[in-house]
Amino acid sequence: MDFLLISLLNGIVYGLLLFMVSAGLTLIFGMMGVLNFAHASFYMLGAYLAYAISGHLGFWAGVVTAPLLVAFAGVLTERYLLRRVHAFGHGHELLLTFGLALVIEEGIKLFFGNFPVNYTLPTQLDFSAFALSGMSYPFYRLFIAMIAVAMFAILYLLLKHTRTGLIVRAAERAPAMAQALGHNVPMIFTGVFALGAGLAGLAGAIAGAFYPTSPTMALDLGAIVFVVVVVGGLGSVAGSLIASLGIGVLTSLTVGMSFRLADLASTIGLGDWAREVGGLLTVPVSAVSGAVPFILMLVILLSRPAGILGARN
Amino acid sequence: MTEPNNTGMTRRGAMGAMAAFAMLAQSRMASATEGEGLKIAVIEALSGPQASSGMLFLSGIEYGTRKINQAGGFNGKDVEIVSYDNAGTSTGASSRFQQAVADGCHLIVMGSSSAIVSQLSEDARKHALRNPETPMILINVGSGALAMTGERCHFHNFRMFPIASMSVAALTKVMGDEGTLGKKVFTINQDYSWGQEFQAAVEGRAAQGDFKLVGSVLHDVNRIQDFSPYVAQIKASGADTVLTGNWSNDLLLLIKACADASLGVRFGTCFLDQPGNIGNAGVSALGHYVSTLSNCELNPEFAEDFRSEMGHYPVYNETGATVGMGFLAAALASMEPGETVDVEAIGLAMEQTEVEGDNGLQSMRAEDHQFVTPLVVSRVDREAKYPADDTDMGFLPVARVSAEELIYPVQDSCQMPRPT
Repeated sequence: MDFLLISLLNGIVYGLLLFMVSAGLTLIFGMMGVLNFAHASFYMLGAYLAYAISGHLGFWAGVVTAPLLVAFAGVLTERYLLRRVHAFGHGHELLLTFGLALVIEEGIKLFFGNFPVNYTLPTQLDFSAFALSGMSYPFYRLFIAMIAVAMFAILYLLLKHTRTGLIVRAAERAPAMAQALGHNVPMIFTGVFALGAGLAGLAGAIAGAFYPTSPTMALDLGAIVFVVVVVGGLGSVAGSLIASLGIGVLTSLTVGMSFRLADLASTIGLGDWAREVGGLLTVPVSAVSGAVPFILMLVILLSRPAGILGARN
Repeated sequence: MTEPNNTGMTRRGAMGAMAAFAMLAQSRMASATEGEGLKIAVIEALSGPQASSGMLFLSGIEYGTRKINQAGGFNGKDVEIVSYDNAGTSTGASSRFQQAVADGCHLIVMGSSSAIVSQLSEDARKHALRNPETPMILINVGSGALAMTGERCHFHNFRMFPIASMSVAALTKVMGDEGTLGKKVFTINQDYSWGQEFQAAVEGRAAQGDFKLVGSVLHDVNRIQDFSPYVAQIKASGADTVLTGNWSNDLLLLIKACADASLGVRFGTCFLDQPGNIGNAGVSALGHYVSTLSNCELNPEFAEDFRSEMGHYPVYNETGATVGMGFLAAALASMEPGETVDVEAIGLAMEQTEVEGDNGLQSMRAEDHQFVTPLVVSRVDREAKYPADDTDMGFLPVARVSAEELIYPVQDSCQMPRPT
């Protein structure tokens, strides 16, 4: 029971971290139609900037400043790179962000080296929140979760219940009309892109201290974040929250399962046959838990091609 | 011949690698004529996510080559190394292999990734069949995949690295002697050949009654961000010690997750010495073990010399690569200088070579070209001479385990045709 509870909690926290990174990605896609391959790189950039700043000014200064700097990098990217290729269509934007991801990765290696850097928690945050059957649960995991929840609440309120949100949504649905009504649509796009990048930067600054900050962190999270966005429905913030939590919990729970297809077969008396056949039939579920998100994506794409909360279902 | 304390081991064999290089110098001085120079290709991941380990292999090989050249080179000429970037892919490695052939290289020395080693070994085998006049030899200094000395073994493939069962034997022996192994062991590994072989080796040890295996799990390679579910599983098993063949992020995240849950298990590993691990894991790394080919603390003269050549103390793969290069240097030193580079003769010379290295007596098994090497088990400790990652902790060598205690029988599947 305790094992189940811990696994569930772990899954939720990991899911919320995924949400922090994917929220910006889905936002940018929803508003601008840009599939941003460099998004996870902004996450990595946030972690490295926070590491560099925290070395001089302390942990909190790093966590606050790094997302702002990443947001500024987002402004530059949108204003001077994406806007130039926007006219040539999505293919060009995609390639541009892909190239940007490579540049950021190699740039980080150039400045910070090939190996993980020592970005670690400040001691005042490094304590256990509670203990469950002898295992202490680090407070910082709950801290990550709290930040993610706060982020979702603010984003949701901002988009649905403020005038700014109204204009942003208008600019997304009918850019020409919004422009005709006197709103500066290109600037709104820049703002949205900066916000998305900044959120990824915040996630990096927070999570980088807990998970290692290394040049591969963008790659590690890059694929899974796209899975979250596709499963949740491209452009839907609430959808990506549901997808993140689902993927987090499913991954966490399957790790503890030693269940095999052969066990299922033995309930109908075919166990020996299944064990003889071997192959996929004798692979425990725990060994494929890393593939669970991708299997989920396949199922979703087959049944609801636009994702859980996608607009075109 | 383990020496559980570190007093008896500081000097013995410490000059081994140096002696090999010096021997080379003497034989070169005698040669008046100059023949063809030896060209070594280093086909490594020098860009992309695996570049971190590839760059270290390259610098270790570079150091070894410099030492050979400072001792007079080969055939009276400097040994030349040419580095090729395989970008971490087997297809990239294969095309770089063709390039190395075109550039007239004689040997390939590399270490990253079992998949790439396997590709290059196959390339070298076919190349030798098609071009019996100009074969190339692959010297693998970093992959432990069992098949390379089993069904895929051939004359032009040399493995200068332990397999999983050797590392597991060294770890369990030394941790057992130190009284830190405990009775209950859990093993967690990456789900591919190396991890599976590591798990099988731990299961084999448990069957001998050294300890009780309370759980084992395989997981996807470098795709897991959150190891806490596995930590819950380890906790539930009640294990004292976790043995793992994991490397890179999979090791670091695992150790961090265990520390975050205040799980007081001890780790026995093979790759804990990768830069960044100790700095990130912090004090929770103290008391964990790592089994490696060598440890530069065994030979401070080597450590200082490496530093003066390469600008830093040897770490991680660099140390391992210098062991392999030291052995190659000794093999080259035993050969008479000739007009041309006879690649087959280098292979035969390696089979005959014995080196008293920093870690102990090393040799090459002719039947399957497995490096018969002692291993060094080190513990993360504040007493270590060379601290890692700007911390006050480093890898203190605990004991050397001799090759005969570790070496496994030649696999029946290895049928190696000899050069005629």
